[in-house]
Amino acid sequence: MLNVGNVKVPLCHGVTRRSFLQAGAAGLAGLTLPELMRREAAGAVDGRRGKVRNCITIFLVGSPGHLDTWDMKPDAPAEVRGKFKPAATNATGVKICEHFPLMARMMDKVALIRSLHHKTGATHENGQRWMMTGHDFNPDNIQPHVGSVVSRVFGPKGDLPANVILPGPIGNTGAGPLHGQTAGYLGSAHEPFFLNADPASPNFKVTDLEVPSDPTGFRLDARKKLLGQLDDLQRRTETASTQGHDIAYERAFRLLTSPKAKQAFDLNKEDDKARDRYGRNTFGQSCLMARRLIENGVRYVTVNHFDTVFGLSCWDMHADGGGLNNTYLDYERHLCPQFDQAFTALVTDLEKRGLLSETVVAVLSEFGRTPRLNGRGGRDHYPDAWTNFLCGANIRGGQVIGSTDKIGSRPADNPILPPQILASIYHGMGINLDTTMMPGPGERPVRLVEAEPIKQLFA
Amino acid sequence: MEQKFEGSPRADVRLEGRRVVRGEVVNDWGSLLQWVVRKNGQVVATVPARAEASYQHADATPGTYEVVLQMWKYVNYAKDPKGEFTVSKFIDVSDKVTYKI
Repeated sequence: MLNVGNVKVPLCHGVTRRSFLQAGAAGLAGLTLPELMRREAAGAVDGRRGKVRNCITIFLVGSPGHLDTWDMKPDAPAEVRGKFKPAATNATGVKICEHFPLMARMMDKVALIRSLHHKTGATHENGQRWMMTGHDFNPDNIQPHVGSVVSRVFGPKGDLPANVILPGPIGNTGAGPLHGQTAGYLGSAHEPFFLNADPASPNFKVTDLEVPSDPTGFRLDARKKLLGQLDDLQRRTETASTQGHDIAYERAFRLLTSPKAKQAFDLNKEDDKARDRYGRNTFGQSCLMARRLIENGVRYVTVNHFDTVFGLSCWDMHADGGGLNNTYLDYERHLCPQFDQAFTALVTDLEKRGLLSETVVAVLSEFGRTPRLNGRGGRDHYPDAWTNFLCGANIRGGQVIGSTDKIGSRPADNPILPPQILASIYHGMGINLDTTMMPGPGERPVRLVEAEPIKQLFA
Repeated sequence: MEQKFEGSPRADVRLEGRRVVRGEVVNDWGSLLQWVVRKNGQVVATVPARAEASYQHADATPGTYEVVLQMWKYVNYAKDPKGEFTVSKFIDVSDKVTYKI
């Protein structure tokens, strides 16, 4: 008989699934790191062929208005063109908002996509799910985050997770808890690792990497031995799900005890000048951490710029006078400078370290904003047209893909749907979309996304 | 996760003739950085200061000019009915420099 916490579990016979689960619940509290290795090849993948080895997605939660940022219409009526003016960049013929002066100097590296759109409801969550999974929402089949797919296909490179989200999960954006940032049907084996901490805080530490104080390491070893014993029980009730957990715990121990993992998350290893260059704010320091994680072997990092749209200065520029009272002043004084500083620091830093040639930086968001200013001088949700962009790896910079009409109300040329962005990332990583399948619902193989890559993106 | 901006950004500023030159900002919050130019005590210009490290005010008419570097300090997004922030504000992040024409 094995005592696991307060549960007696027979070792040799009579082991039931219930007793195993009870033992698991009693004995394994505190081991919460969800992170996995790939179990087997998912299909025809040749990572050596893909120029893209890593990806950093910056997700602009709340969504900036395209007419005020990267698809300006200076000749439109005042109630459409808004308050900001376009400025020239170092990419011939490409103009962006005057409040991105640093980005204007590197637009030769950036591919703007101005004709994004989707036809489902104008909630933040719909856009988040489209842009993070490449799929529409289906409550019976939760689609995995793109980083979880990468985790499933390629697995991690070392002790660090393949898929990390900074600084934490998206929280309340108004229409439910599903934001496209889970492993969905791929299971716990491929859940993203969430930092769940503010890297700009003076007291920053990654809670999940903190081993409880124990100078001899006895407790950690004891827990590992206990897990080993539970593994023997588990074999008798083994399913794909329990195999996933098995790998998750193995990886969790490696992460807890890996000096390289701790070092990767340690921003104190950066000099003050670098930290200042990114900006001493949650977003800037998250971008800096993203660079460190890529450098240390994480394949896919997502940086959420904000975790909510309520009660704080963010991109959701409704100007409603209440909980969504973001205005042009927020953009001008806080949001645009913060983004400009951190994004350009990241791209410059990646390039300086020789990482940009194999890393795509994708700046994505949920939708655009209404072409006509609302009655309070703000803009509301608008999925009929918006602009996102990519740079790095073999992305051909200095170009604009697609366009919108005179008032930015709909694509006028080369309409692009969200799955095409993810298809492009997968393609760049050497994933053959026609032959690489995921184990979908009922274990039926499913295509990663129902879209083709945007060929024009690539050099 | 609401951000807290701690410490104090700071930059050295010097005059080279009528041109004001700033050093790198230490403890940089990453928000809007601007020059504020006063002539005879009145604000006559606010100019973005992030992209270029120096600025020369075009007006060369006689007067006493004072220039300071400011950064936006975000505390919260509360605004008055006219839409202006009530708590967040610009703060000086450099010494003031003065020249007379």
